[in-house]
Amino acid sequence: MSAGTIEPTTGAPETLPATRWIEGTPSLHRITTDISRPMEARPGRGWWICFAISSLAVLNLLGMVTYLFAKGIGIWGLNNAVGWAFDITNFVFWIGIGHAGTLISAILLLFRQKWRTSINRSAEAMTIFAVMCAGLFPLIHMGRPWDAFFIFPYFPNQRGPLWVNFRSPLVWDVFAISTYFTISLVFWYLGMIPDLATLRDRATTGIKKLVFRVLSLGWNGSQRTWSRYEIVSLVLAALATPLVLSVHSIVSTDFATSLVPGWHTTIFPPYFVAGAIYSGFGMVLTLLIITRQTMHLERYITTNHLEAMAKVILLTGSLVGYAYATEFFNAWYSGNVHERFHFINRATGPYAWCFYLMVLCNVLTPQIFWWKRARRNIPVLFVASILINVGMWFERFVIIVVGLHRNFLPSAWGMFYPTVFDVGILVGVFGLFFTLFLLFIRALPMIAMWEVKGVSHG
Amino acid sequence: MNRRPTCEDAAPREADGDPLVQIGLPTGTRSTGFEATRRDVLSLMGFSLGALGLGAGCRAPVQHAVPLPAASIEMVPGVPNLYATTCGACSAACGLVVKQRDGRPIKIEGNDASPLTGGGTCAAGQASVLSLYDDGRLRGPMWLGNAVSWAEVDRHIRSVLDARGRDARDVVLLSQTITSPSTRALIDELRAVFPRFRHVVYDPLSLAALREANRRAHGAAVVPHFLFDRARVVVGLDADFLGTWLAPVEHARQWAQRRTAGTDRGFHVQVESGVSVTGSNADLRLAVAPSQIGAVAVALLAAVTRRMGGDDPGSFGAAGLTQAAPHAVAIEQTAEALVRNRGEALVVCGSNDLPTQIVVAKLNAVLGSVDKTVDLAHPSLQRQGDDAALPALIDDMNRGAVHALMVWGANPVYDHPDGAAFRAALNKVALTISFADRRDETSAHVHAVCPDHHFLEAWGDAEPVSGHFSLRQPLIAPLHETRAAEESLLAWAGRTTDHRSYVRAFWKRALYKPAAGAAAPDAFDDFWERTLERGAIDLPRPPVATHAFAADLEESVREIVARANRAGGDHDGYELALQETVGARDGRHANNPWLLELPDPITRLTWGNVASIAPVTATALGVSTGDVVTLTTETGKLELPAFIQPGQHRHTISVAVGYGRWAAGKAGDGVGGNAFPLARVANGLRTTSARVTVTRTGRRARLSPAQTHFSMEGRDIVQTLALAPSEHEHEHEKLPDLWRERLHGAHAWGMSIDLDACTGCSACVVACQSENNIPVVGAEQVRKNRIMHWLRIDRYVEGDGEDAQSLHQPMMCQHCQHAPCETVCPVLATTTSSEGINQQVYNRCIGTRYCANNCPYKVRRFNWHNYTANDDFPYNMTSPLGRLVLNPDVTVRSRGVMEKCNLCVQRIQLGKNQALLQRRPMADGDVATACQQSCPTGAIVFGDLADAGSRVSKLLAGRRAYRVLDDLGTRPNVGYLKRLTREEES
Amino acid sequence: MRTRGIVFGVVLLGAGGGLIARGATRIGVHQGYAPEQPIAFPHKVHAGDNQIACLYCHSGARTSRHAGIPSASVCMNCHSLIEKQTTEIQRLKEAVQQRRPIVWTKVHNLPDFVYFNHSQHVVSGVACQRCHGAVEQMDRIEQASPLTMGWCLGCHRAEAHVPTSTFTRVAANVRNRPTPFAGEDCTSCHY
Repeated sequence: MSAGTIEPTTGAPETLPATRWIEGTPSLHRITTDISRPMEARPGRGWWICFAISSLAVLNLLGMVTYLFAKGIGIWGLNNAVGWAFDITNFVFWIGIGHAGTLISAILLLFRQKWRTSINRSAEAMTIFAVMCAGLFPLIHMGRPWDAFFIFPYFPNQRGPLWVNFRSPLVWDVFAISTYFTISLVFWYLGMIPDLATLRDRATTGIKKLVFRVLSLGWNGSQRTWSRYEIVSLVLAALATPLVLSVHSIVSTDFATSLVPGWHTTIFPPYFVAGAIYSGFGMVLTLLIITRQTMHLERYITTNHLEAMAKVILLTGSLVGYAYATEFFNAWYSGNVHERFHFINRATGPYAWCFYLMVLCNVLTPQIFWWKRARRNIPVLFVASILINVGMWFERFVIIVVGLHRNFLPSAWGMFYPTVFDVGILVGVFGLFFTLFLLFIRALPMIAMWEVKGVSHG
Repeated sequence: MNRRPTCEDAAPREADGDPLVQIGLPTGTRSTGFEATRRDVLSLMGFSLGALGLGAGCRAPVQHAVPLPAASIEMVPGVPNLYATTCGACSAACGLVVKQRDGRPIKIEGNDASPLTGGGTCAAGQASVLSLYDDGRLRGPMWLGNAVSWAEVDRHIRSVLDARGRDARDVVLLSQTITSPSTRALIDELRAVFPRFRHVVYDPLSLAALREANRRAHGAAVVPHFLFDRARVVVGLDADFLGTWLAPVEHARQWAQRRTAGTDRGFHVQVESGVSVTGSNADLRLAVAPSQIGAVAVALLAAVTRRMGGDDPGSFGAAGLTQAAPHAVAIEQTAEALVRNRGEALVVCGSNDLPTQIVVAKLNAVLGSVDKTVDLAHPSLQRQGDDAALPALIDDMNRGAVHALMVWGANPVYDHPDGAAFRAALNKVALTISFADRRDETSAHVHAVCPDHHFLEAWGDAEPVSGHFSLRQPLIAPLHETRAAEESLLAWAGRTTDHRSYVRAFWKRALYKPAAGAAAPDAFDDFWERTLERGAIDLPRPPVATHAFAADLEESVREIVARANRAGGDHDGYELALQETVGARDGRHANNPWLLELPDPITRLTWGNVASIAPVTATALGVSTGDVVTLTTETGKLELPAFIQPGQHRHTISVAVGYGRWAAGKAGDGVGGNAFPLARVANGLRTTSARVTVTRTGRRARLSPAQTHFSMEGRDIVQTLALAPSEHEHEHEKLPDLWRERLHGAHAWGMSIDLDACTGCSACVVACQSENNIPVVGAEQVRKNRIMHWLRIDRYVEGDGEDAQSLHQPMMCQHCQHAPCETVCPVLATTTSSEGINQQVYNRCIGTRYCANNCPYKVRRFNWHNYTANDDFPYNMTSPLGRLVLNPDVTVRSRGVMEKCNLCVQRIQLGKNQALLQRRPMADGDVATACQQSCPTGAIVFGDLADAGSRVSKLLAGRRAYRVLDDLGTRPNVGYLKRLTREEES
Repeated sequence: MRTRGIVFGVVLLGAGGGLIARGATRIGVHQGYAPEQPIAFPHKVHAGDNQIACLYCHSGARTSRHAGIPSASVCMNCHSLIEKQTTEIQRLKEAVQQRRPIVWTKVHNLPDFVYFNHSQHVVSGVACQRCHGAVEQMDRIEQASPLTMGWCLGCHRAEAHVPTSTFTRVAANVRNRPTPFAGEDCTSCHY
């Protein structure tokens, strides 16, 4: 061995393995069959139980709404002091839920996030159903749906003509939500066309074949079709992206443009958008964890997906927590007697328990996701997602009811106590949502086959 | 869809209240069977409109117009007529001008020409028009519980009256005080017809002691006519003279004349045990137990005489007085003020305790108030009842000494402690007759019920104060087969004259001839017409002869001192104090939903009475508001929910009378508890207080409050100002404004509310309800905080001790020029008009309630349910008869619609139209809102802010003017005048 | 082939939609409503041929919100002197003899939430025909005007020299703030 000689080290440098968005290496045909199974096989008992429960809730909803239209919203707990409570709380809650879908499919598409592939379809479906649930409330909370058409600016009308009040946020709600719904629907449908074509080709019975043929708009999978398809998707994504931000900003102006202490805040738009995405992902998480178990899709909806979502939740959850803190600071800093009283009342008044529940669920819960093991632990994720949904519902309840029940004139203070109809309609809408989702996973491919194939390694 | 009653609805068939509207084919052929009111039809249209998408067409209802068979000169459909008449809601007999529309009275207004009330009314008076259309009224006479004809009931009655027994035994007419001179004359005539005729008079709330005291002191057993406007210092002892006592409307007017007299503003001390409307407006209020009121009077007398000389009650025992000690300073201060303003001082005492009244008489005598502020020569003719008479009558009845008993305008079974005994004694009388308009607690047990007219259907007159006469004329033909009680009496006396001609003849004989003398003996017809038109007139009356004070003061003082020391001895016992409230009064209006739902100005509770307990006492007893407690006195027992009342004396429990009727009618039965039996008749006088024990039942009651929080939380809502202008009184700075100044058209309507003159009497609240077709929603909905009143009177309390200070603030839509409600309504259903009115368009409203959420004053009211033609709300808007009270110029709102004060825009439009018809510009005062018109103290002034010369403009430019929540920048057109405060008389 | 189909579909849709929209805006408009009356009263004869002033019979229009339908007694002012007899006049006289009110069918119906005051308009010099049409030529009375809110406002605006077309009005408002006038307030008619 002679000194002074150094032996060059040889061998390639270590490389990290890329995150895999599918477990194992299923063949493309395998992917197709796996994903089509829920639609082609008979549903399991689990599905039937869920469906029975949720459709019962829907029946209850129908009954109660009918009674509402017959009797008037006096059957709710609302009163002179508190003019909005469960109705608008539910509305904002569901609009919030409706935010994850388009975010995932549009924004993540633009950012070329691969992990969206196996969850975007169901997330978009969820968006559409959530917006449908949300849209129910502006209609029924008036108690007289036959006059609701007044809110649309239409011409000609006999009244002079008489227009709507373009200064009112409620009018813009109508515009924003209907636009958002339309775009989401188109985007969702468009994304399904290749899969619908696949199903058309797999379909055995004539009726099924016919339906899928119509729906797949004569897709032939040629090179030309695909390239145009990609372009359209990108264009729609670009269109949808601003909507994700605009819808909840506009919903937030329902409160921000009023002068009610606790509502009249400039941070509401970003705060609401963050909250919306937060609650949206919470709901996606809940749904996917259930479906991947019941439909045996663990292979395609991997813990990597769940972890990625957990990260988004951690981020948005912290944003929401920051917003809460800012509100309190501003109330103190403004020196406005009414603002200050509102936030003292929020934390110490009769509805304080709602406030602490909301803080617990929305601010503390997500912090657990700083730990990787929590992010990858299914039970933890599931419980957290439920808590987030609860917390976000109460956030809206606290903002609305606590803001209204004690404001400027103490002589007019009051309390809100929900009635059986308030609760019943809340439950019923959840039923509606889950019923639609359950039908969706039976009728349509809940995972985008063609996109999953794009990220498969087989 | 909303319904506005039109003259077609109310045309000739109005009595059965069936609107002449039917659905059918547009060709005009009536459809078979399906009769529908217009609102049914329109709601059907609503549904079919909704179903339009399904291609469902919609068909307009065929409406009919039915002219009178023969044209009437007086009644033009759609044009309101105003007639002067006299209120019958209580014995004060205020002058009224009643608005009659298409032949039916729909609104009660005060008569500006009345020398006593000058245009004010009270809540009960305002509401009395609803009692006219009360479904509970009898449709005709009854004999032994069966409906019969007048001929038959007369035959039965005559047969008994003419029977032999009448010579041996008494024929008794039992009534409350009757102030009608013609009726008094008629009763005197009866004495001639029935040899042993007696007229027994009693009052549920008696002033017998006051009259007796004046008999002993001045030789005239009268209730004096008090002149508060001549008094710079007023001391009220247990007399709620601004709210319920004697003639509240007149008193309030006089009191306000002094109070609004700028720097010469009077000084008002109130001594009372519970909080009353009067006490809540006093400059200095002393909470004193009922047993100590006399002691305070004595101490006051001692302090006064010490300053003025004369026989000092100290010399005979007032020195031994210990109980008034806590208030020594205040008493000295009050005495000082009284003495300095002697001749312009007034001490009024409502206590029915003889020694106390004698001491008070002495006080007024010493202070030279007699014939200055206390008019004995032309006394009040109210409250002439004799407390000893009714118990005596009961004995006579039991002895069988009474042959026939006629009960008129009285309900002793309900409102007398011996009610049960009276009810039993009724069976001992050969013939019992009641003139009640319903089968109430008393008339349910008599042989014959001969229902009297409602006062709006009747002729009549009144002399509430000697020399002040007012006439009553019918506003509508009797709705039912009723008959004036006077006419019944005349009939049984064998006379055939109808009541109108009787009154007319009496006025000619007894009033006109002496007045006119030989001057114009035959010009009576003009005189009669003029008086009917004017409503009231002053005629000379011989003064009552009186002499200087000459009563045994010493005896009274000794008795008071002895009793006071005895009662004050035990500090663990409690005293009960019965009080009248502006809504319930003595219980005669118990079936009037407007009054039942009227929030009490002090407790702000509706639909029932409570036991008011001081906070410290509540802690000691371990009760909180809503806990049911049992009140036990030696005469009775009553379970009531407790209510914690700052300002309440700590050893006194106050309970409102007038509740707990069990045969009043659908609305009034079983509301609250009857407190009359708790106090007894003691040595010939009805007491309103007693020793009481309070025990918890452990149960809780659900109250129906219109307001739950009484603290202002340190916010500048009701602002006060020192009477004397101080230099460091900062000028009101103009706040910056982000909005462009709002342009207005020809007018800018606005309102000013003087918080120093507002007593909280709540007449305006009922006036507003009556004018604007505001529905009654019932206890359950009020409990849910859904009361519909457009105008509410908030009460704020500062402090929770016995010295707690009350502040009343009428609150209605502030008509913001930068209205928060306006910007948020998606469909422009609420906008600010070119004349500054924040207008609410019912038919455009889709019911998002966003406006109500964004209203900082929380004055918007939402129709949570359909309150009309809905059996869940069985009040006047549900009954065809009750709907006749609706104002045809105001839309009846349907469910899902937001509503609120619109400054009586229908009156503004009417005023503008009248100016147009007379080809002249509008003048200040052309339009008076309902609340303004009803206000006895003139606290509310409405007018045009665009006209710098108008009253309202001047008031809102003054140093006391301010806007509520001004810093929000809502720029309201409704402004308030700060309440003036004075620590002590300087 | 296919494109033609699409075009056809679109046109069909547009036309249908337009028709539905037009129909919808005519809901509750009863222009031309001319119901039978219990007595076939010819305005043509009275107001037209005999030149009787409207306000002679409809005297309420001068003082009241309701123009009012004359009582039968008013009819008899003349008909007690005129010998002419028809079955209709016979009916009238029967009604008068039996003092039974005549139940006319109302032709001009406004919704209950609309307040209209005749006297205001009559005194302001609005001719009856402006709203009721050429009554003096009608045998059976008929609703001549749509009586819609837009129709009312058209006149109100014209009287106040405000452009009646939406677009010109909007343009004007952009240029300068219009001074508000009572005729355009909601509370002129709704309260």
